[in-house]
Amino acid sequence: MSSGSNGARRVASLLRPAISDPRVCRSCQETLVRRSYATASTQASTETPSTAASAFPVVKPTHTIKAGVVLSRPPQITRDLTDFEKAYYFYQKRLNERLQLPFTKYFYFKRGTPADEDWKRKIRERQTPARDIGKYNPYSKEAWNDELLVGAVESDPAHQVEMLVQDAESTVNATSQDTSKKEEIPRPFPRVTEADQKNDQRSLNRALQRTLYLLVQSKDGFWTFPSSPIVAEETLRQAAERTLEQAAGVNMNTWMVGYHPVGHYVYNFRNPSKLATGPAGEKVFFMKSRIMAGQADLSGNAQNLTDFKWLSKDEISKFVKPQYYASVKNMLADR
Amino acid sequence: MAASEPSRYLARSLPRAFAPSSRAPAFCWRRNASDQASTRSPSAAINDLESTTLSTPLSEDTVKSFNPLERARARKTQLPRSRYQFRSPKYDRGPLHPHRPPPPSDPSSRLFVPGPFSLPRVAQTWQSTVAPDLLTLLYVHNPPGFKPPPKAPRLRSWDDSSPYHKNRSLRGPRGGDVLRLLRKPITFNNIPKIERITLHSYVKQAAQYDSSWLHVAGMALQAVTNVKVETFKSKTSVAQWHIAPGRDTVAAKAELRGENMLHFFGKLVDVVMPRLKDWQGVKGSSGDSSGNITFGLEPEEMALFPEIEVNYDMYPPKMIPGCHITIHTSANTDKDARLLLSAMGVPFYGKLVN
Repeated sequence: MSSGSNGARRVASLLRPAISDPRVCRSCQETLVRRSYATASTQASTETPSTAASAFPVVKPTHTIKAGVVLSRPPQITRDLTDFEKAYYFYQKRLNERLQLPFTKYFYFKRGTPADEDWKRKIRERQTPARDIGKYNPYSKEAWNDELLVGAVESDPAHQVEMLVQDAESTVNATSQDTSKKEEIPRPFPRVTEADQKNDQRSLNRALQRTLYLLVQSKDGFWTFPSSPIVAEETLRQAAERTLEQAAGVNMNTWMVGYHPVGHYVYNFRNPSKLATGPAGEKVFFMKSRIMAGQADLSGNAQNLTDFKWLSKDEISKFVKPQYYASVKNMLADR
Repeated sequence: MAASEPSRYLARSLPRAFAPSSRAPAFCWRRNASDQASTRSPSAAINDLESTTLSTPLSEDTVKSFNPLERARARKTQLPRSRYQFRSPKYDRGPLHPHRPPPPSDPSSRLFVPGPFSLPRVAQTWQSTVAPDLLTLLYVHNPPGFKPPPKAPRLRSWDDSSPYHKNRSLRGPRGGDVLRLLRKPITFNNIPKIERITLHSYVKQAAQYDSSWLHVAGMALQAVTNVKVETFKSKTSVAQWHIAPGRDTVAAKAELRGENMLHFFGKLVDVVMPRLKDWQGVKGSSGDSSGNITFGLEPEEMALFPEIEVNYDMYPPKMIPGCHITIHTSANTDKDARLLLSAMGVPFYGKLVN
């Protein structure tokens, strides 16, 4: 997008009147010039065009510029409801039942069919057409008693799902021709997986309600997002793609979200001997990325990484250094 | 109305507080499932706000012995009606009237509509995944010192070449009369999202034969959307179908918002769309160039909705209608709307027109 590495473009930009602002990077300065070209040309007579040499003084960057990748797996299932939400939704369901017109049974069940018999039996049992609000008659004299008592399970979504499945099972068994065998309706998969119980933090099949981020451990033992210095003539996105490939292998189907970094981290070296010879520190710009399939693979990585983990936001804070977490936390999703 | 509420309650409760009571003030032992939330995890924060009744743990036998039904049955005399029955006045006669209806959020109000009943998955996906990605994708970097180039006014002035130009209203934009919506830069507070969905079905047979076609269409739409449908008369005349404007009721419409809309969208994308045969997707040229995308479903495709499928036999044969589905988004351009919808799982095909 704004690479600025094109030779012809660079020459052209040198010839144009330029805005020199020390806070603006070189590629952005070119953008500025290009965007305001139409307006600048009208005012060109009043402004004195600055010389090419003063427009872009070639300075060596003080920090090493690095591209980082925030590779994430989005939440796979809905979140657990809080106790308040469970109770609130349940209460609203019962209120709704009280205010609704009666269920139009004739539209759904033909008279005399097995399904109709099954329906009659069920409505006698639970007294309401809704299958997930427990035994409650919304039209009776005692309909005012619509709140749950302490310890009641009816407002729990797991219980409601179980009720729906049991209802479907009994319908299938009551209406089928073959009475000898019992039909089983598959339950939904558990919301807590095997990897959760084992706390296998390398697995992508854990913490299904949270966003997971890929963190790698360097040889020194520090946990960070994968990152590497940008080489010459490379855009941030290209560098991020290369970083991911070098760090975690090619066995992943990933999607880089956009061309702009979502966050950055600045680290200043404190070692005086290092400072004298090299740059003053490093700046990491993080590109956002999503994993669709596959798994990280550190065997044969080019960056001397020893380990990787898939962690949610609050777990990340335990692994990385506080300073790193402070600059990184705002680009991570809460859930 | 809301402004007068505190004074109403205050005026009622003040004399009650000062009046001598026959019973000694006691703790309220009644507990409901909604109270459990406060005793659990964030109890420390809530203890500061709530009085002691919520935070003190109840003994086992108190919990077991509490049965509101039995207590009500054991009562010898009926409670006075004012204690358990409140009928809201029908009309709001203004702030000076002593007896005013409660706000519509109160279950005793005549206008009360229950809900929400769930936290829809589509809303959660948008919140956790789609919105942050859209924000990243639609970000435009403006370096410090950037001033956007001045734009010409949207409505042009007349050049005063003729004396008749005086006091004329401004001239429309070049190339057509339509003044397009302005597209503001997308920031955290205007990320595109789905605002409402409209299902519209035009049943020409309702004018040709009888109204039963429209009834069935309304039933099918209602079953699919969980929303009461509205019917409309034709505005145009179609001679071949014997439709006259203002005479024939030929269309049914359901407008979905909030929870109904999100559940419908989830069903559409995850249940119905994968089962459509030889369907490439929504046409890329669809849209009204202000962020609303429309596509259609044929009658046999409507029958794929689980609510219709479950008792398909009860609908008269061949009477299930097709419909047009319009998804109104808060985006101001079709491009943004399409980006949002494709992130939520709607496929697009063909040339994309903005």
